[in-house]
Formats: sequence, C-alpha cells, structure tokens
Amino acid sequence: MALPLPPGLVPTEVAFLCEMELVTIVPRQRLESIPLLSGATPALRPPHRAQIPLWLALLLKKQRRANIVPPAWLHPASLAEIIHQETNVDSEAFSPPPPPVMRSDGRGGARQYASNPEPKPGDLVLSPPFLPSCTADAPSGYLPYHWLEMSETLLAHAADDVPSAAEVRTLLRDLQEVRAAKMRGSTTQLEGGGGVVGLRGVGAMELAESRGFVQGVVDGVRKIGASVEQARREDEERGYGDEGADESDDEMGFE
Amino acid sequence: MSYYDLDAILTDAEKVPCKFEIEVPDLGYLDNNPSHPLKAHTPVSLPLWLAELLAIANRSANSQDSSPFLTLSMPQTLSSEVTSALKADPRAVPLRDQSHNFYALATRMMEIFEDLDMCAVLRRTFVTRAGETALHARKAGASDDYKVAGGEDFMRGLEAWERALFLRAHDGAKDSKVWMEGVKK
Repeated sequence: MALPLPPGLVPTEVAFLCEMELVTIVPRQRLESIPLLSGATPALRPPHRAQIPLWLALLLKKQRRANIVPPAWLHPASLAEIIHQETNVDSEAFSPPPPPVMRSDGRGGARQYASNPEPKPGDLVLSPPFLPSCTADAPSGYLPYHWLEMSETLLAHAADDVPSAAEVRTLLRDLQEVRAAKMRGSTTQLEGGGGVVGLRGVGAMELAESRGFVQGVVDGVRKIGASVEQARREDEERGYGDEGADESDDEMGFE
Repeated sequence: MSYYDLDAILTDAEKVPCKFEIEVPDLGYLDNNPSHPLKAHTPVSLPLWLAELLAIANRSANSQDSSPFLTLSMPQTLSSEVTSALKADPRAVPLRDQSHNFYALATRMMEIFEDLDMCAVLRRTFVTRAGETALHARKAGASDDYKVAGGEDFMRGLEAWERALFLRAHDGAKDSKVWMEGVKK
C-alpha cells in the first residue's frame, strides 16, 4: 500500500523541528521560569540575555516583550564569507558544518559542550536542535543544520532585529542557489559507478527539498547497473577463495 | 517491481527483433503471409515477454540440446547509432522518441546480453540527464509558471524514469517554496 507521504521529513515538519532550536533574546519584561516538558525556561530579567526555544522567542517577539539577538552567522559579512568559500575556495563540497561546541572548564582548559571528558560507547551524542548553534555565541562563518529555516523565520518575524535585513535576504537567496546547484552536481559523482555523494554540511531544509531527487537518481543508477552487478557478484563468488579482500569494496558499492 | 506496475507492463510489451531458428507452422501471419508456415530465420518483431521466454527456453525436453527457439537481437532503440549519440552528448538525444520506457527496456536487454559498455554509457546518460532534469524541475517548482524557459525540447525528450525523477524534484522544490511563502503567517 502506498503511503500518502514520501519517506523523510517534508519542509513544514523540518520547520517545526527548527522551532526547538535555542535562540538568544534580550527580554524587555520580567518573566518567571516556565516549567515545560522540555525543561524549565530560564527566568527572564531585563536586560540580561537569555536562551530560549525559537517558538517562545517568536511569541515574545510578537508581543513586543523581547528582542531576538540573531546568530553571528546571519551577519552579512559572515554570509558573504560563506558564499566566497562555496564558490571560490571549494566549488565541489558544501561549506563545513560548525565545529563542535567547546566550553571552558574554568581552569584554562576547554571541553566539548555537554559531553563527558572520556567518551564511552553509549554516551549521548548531541545533534541539533540540542546544540546551541543558533544562539548569539554560535560561531560565524559556519552554517548550522537548520540554517535556512532559522534565517527565513527570523527574517519573516524579527526583521527589525537582523542587521541589514535586505542584504541578508539577497545573500541567502544566492547561497541557496549555489548550494542547490551543488546538490544537483553531487549526483553526477555516481557516474563512475559506486561513487558516494558527499552531503556533509547540508542543511535540514535542503535535505527535505532534494531527498526525492537524490534517492531517485541513486535508485536509477542502481537499477541500470543491477544486471552487471549481479554478474560481477557471481564471478566473485566463484573466485571467493582468493578474492576475499574485495569484500570491503562490495559494501561501498550501490546496494 | 509490482505486479500492477504499468511501466513494467508497457516494457514487457515492447517489440524486439528476433529470428526463429525453426520453421513454425501457422505463424505465417507474423510475416504478412497467412496460411503458410513461418520460415526459419525470418526477421519478426515479438513482444519482449514472449521473445525472452522463447530465447531462453530449450527447444527439446532433454537438457543436452540447449538450442533455443529463436535468437534475440538488440532493438533499434539500443542500436549502436543511439549509443554513440549518447556517448557524444546525452542531453541532445530525445530518449522518449526512442522508447517511452527507454531505461526499463535497456535494463531488461542488459540482463539478457550483459553488455558492460552499454551499462557504462547508460549510467553516464542517466546521471547527466538527471542533473539537467533537476535544474528544470527546480525552475518549474520554484516559480509559478510551468513553462520551462529554454528547455522545452529537452523536457519533451524525457522518458518514463526521467519523468518520475522530474516529478520528485519538482515536488521537493514546490514544497519548500510553499513553506517559504507561508512562513510570514
């Protein structure tokens, strides 16, 4: 039976998940801590900055109770730098995701945010939206996982808080086009047979947009190569004794 | 592949050229010659499902004699002219004119013939054309008009797999555009 929705998240679902991302606000009014299922929000005391989820920040922004501090990567200079990186420095791969968040331990050292100093198997590995990648202290020059959704939402609802919003908007359009072209180009790596599409640093919304297409191409290449692959496998099984080393290559193939 | 897959059924019905190795009685009408037996080595076109079976099955029950009923040859769709045109520029060939189910037919033929060269050419063709298809799909999905600027000829030449691919790429671009327009509400 056919499912009504394609596999994976659709853009609206991605945008919904993005609302869990923490953003930094400057409150204008006092607000006591609210105990929520996802944890208590910090008590808001103007003019101290606080980090709260995006949905709450948007609510407070609409009621004019807070101003949102946009993340550093949304600054026009940072976006221009990323576009330069995408077009001139490395025109093949996507710009890298932000480095792991480090926290000072107060004794002159630094360790990763919310992780044990000695990682054990089974430890919690944090990924967005549980990393503070959209707060004011997020590094500039790196696009976080939810970059497109976050910046569109901020521009739509808090444009007066974003410095030079019009310029940011144009730069975002450029960036989106550059990366969409790369996403299309990434599938041509499959031509040689068994190439893997590198999607490091791709944002959630871009994934939701291109998932169907990339899956379709991979599927098609697999189907075209199926008969030859089958013949190769049979050959390999016949000569299995002396070609055991080829097994690891097999895994890399399109399966 | 589902039993009800229309593309698979249509691919099964594609005609492929073949020649009977034996004289077949009462099949003369295939060669516009009713009431005569079909002579051996007469070129006829049979649907793929029938030709494939007859090309693989053994003529007699005992397994020593492994000669089949007929020999199959590559259809015109996959002839060397087409493959060399594809080698030159995959985007310039309207695949739909060759066959509506070009890739499906080609994979079926490759299962029979195991042609490594053709596999490489087809893979390159598919991947190159997929990139172009996605470009047009994004243009169509991200702007309201369905008229594709400058790519009409190319779009008309898309065959069944590529049309499905176009649809998926278009829907993705469309969904994200719809969200982006609705974000202000």
